[in-house]
Amino acid sequence: MIVIFIEPGGTRREIEVPEGWTLMQAATANGVEGIEAECGGSCACATCHCYVEQGLERLPPPNETEAAMLENVAAERQPNSRLSCQLKPDAGAAPLCVRLPWRQS
Amino acid sequence: MSFAFDPFAAAVDADPFPYYKILRDEYPCFWSAEAGMWVLSRYADIVVALNDWQTYSSAQGNMMTELPNRAGSTLGTTDPPRHDRLRGLIQHAFLKRNLEAMAEPMRAIAKMVLVAVREREQFDFLEDFSSKFTVRVLFAVLGLPLGDEKQVRDQAVLMVQSDPVTRQKGPAHLAAFAWMTDYAAKVIEERRRQPQDDLISLFSQAEIDGDKLAEREVLLTTTTLIMAGIESLGGFMAMLALNLADHAAARRRLVAEPTLIPDAIEESLRYNTSAQRFRRCLQRDVTLHGQTMRAGDFVCLAYGSGNRDERQFPDPDSYDIDRKPKGHLGFGGGVHGCLGGAIARMACRIAFEEFLDALPTFRRVEAQLPWMPSSTFRSPLRLQLART
Ligand code: HEM
Ligand code: FES
Repeated sequence: MIVIFIEPGGTRREIEVPEGWTLMQAATANGVEGIEAECGGSCACATCHCYVEQGLERLPPPNETEAAMLENVAAERQPNSRLSCQLKPDAGAAPLCVRLPWRQS
Repeated sequence: MSFAFDPFAAAVDADPFPYYKILRDEYPCFWSAEAGMWVLSRYADIVVALNDWQTYSSAQGNMMTELPNRAGSTLGTTDPPRHDRLRGLIQHAFLKRNLEAMAEPMRAIAKMVLVAVREREQFDFLEDFSSKFTVRVLFAVLGLPLGDEKQVRDQAVLMVQSDPVTRQKGPAHLAAFAWMTDYAAKVIEERRRQPQDDLISLFSQAEIDGDKLAEREVLLTTTTLIMAGIESLGGFMAMLALNLADHAAARRRLVAEPTLIPDAIEESLRYNTSAQRFRRCLQRDVTLHGQTMRAGDFVCLAYGSGNRDERQFPDPDSYDIDRKPKGHLGFGGGVHGCLGGAIARMACRIAFEEFLDALPTFRRVEAQLPWMPSSTFRSPLRLQLART
């Protein structure tokens, strides 16, 4: 499934996210700029922060751990802030689109 | 001849990579009769397993040979939601930004340990540097009373080993585990009597949803933190030192430009992967690469192989500090990704800043290294280095 990442510098990257992978994993594996993912996806670092620009309503809401960890993001937290290691793409009509913040730590 | 993969074999301790290549290319979902479990060796398959704890459960234990009665009572051996609550209690202390205060104490420990090493023409990196450094750093982080460092480290190293013949924990390994559990129990009791501002005090009094943690959870989580912290960190530092001894060009660059040390740490986590293999237990049947694994079967996730998978990392067998291998599996990943990742990175960086400053040039003395007999971890028992 394709997901669009907008890097902090504005570059748009269309990335194929394999079945069962998270957005964070696909982004880091493809060298997308703007994600640190220091904790490797254990929802313990908040350095994989993203803003979901398209498709937010299709995603399951954050669980307790993600909600708590979102309080630690370095860039401004917005209503569409999520942790990309907790997100998997869906087969929705239009691809998910996430924007990466200017800083992660 | 049919292919066999025995994670208990000494040949695999010494050099698992040729086996991994065959596994990835020809048997990506392999039943190891010797280990009594499936082995997943490709990066992409391991990532999928790590993301799916509902299917790949840790609740029956995560070490290849599990310690008795540990499963179900520690972070690494529970599944969400219990796991997340347990982790929530201590996670905060391990956040990168909450570790900054540790930087100067860590540097002071490294400098102090190096005083004796500086004088020597030849020394054992493990005995003389990394063990002393990691034990003292972990003692400071967890709040353990000073005095028993050497014994604690020796037992931590024994606990993670297994007997290559019986493919189980032997009496010495079990005795080490019992020793560590006793040691943890004493520390917990002391901290309960006189709480201090440290992690064990906090943890030993913590509650989840109004319930105090079960005594076993406090005890075994503390025991595991000591083991995971000391053995994993010390073992990995030895692998990094080994890489720098063998790759003089990389070492020279780090000496000239210490800001590259974090890149070397990441590449060594990928290239060597001291935490080679962990296991999960299947909760439903899964068919992968034409094989059907059954609910109840154990599955080994070979992080060390995923990190050398050419499908993910081009030219995987070369050590390249410019690679910046994001997403490597050196700390595992998913809900059970290493709790100590940030602290381990910071401790390693500071240790090697000081080490390379004190000893900018060195070589290894022995061509063949004695490898630890462990189906889970991979590191040498001894690493003799000499100044050049
Ligand atoms: C370079 C050093 C280290 C390496 C290579 C390492 C590696 C790993 C790996 C691969 C896992 C995942 C296990 C699995 O998949 O079941 C893990 C988990 C864990 N590590 Fe580390 N580790 C290191 C240092 C530390 C330190 C310093 C600590 C503690 C102070 C620590 C505490 C833990 C804990 C508690 C878990 C279980 C986390 C959970 O299940 O939520 N580690 N480590
Ligand atoms: S990668 Fe650390 S919280 Fe997402």
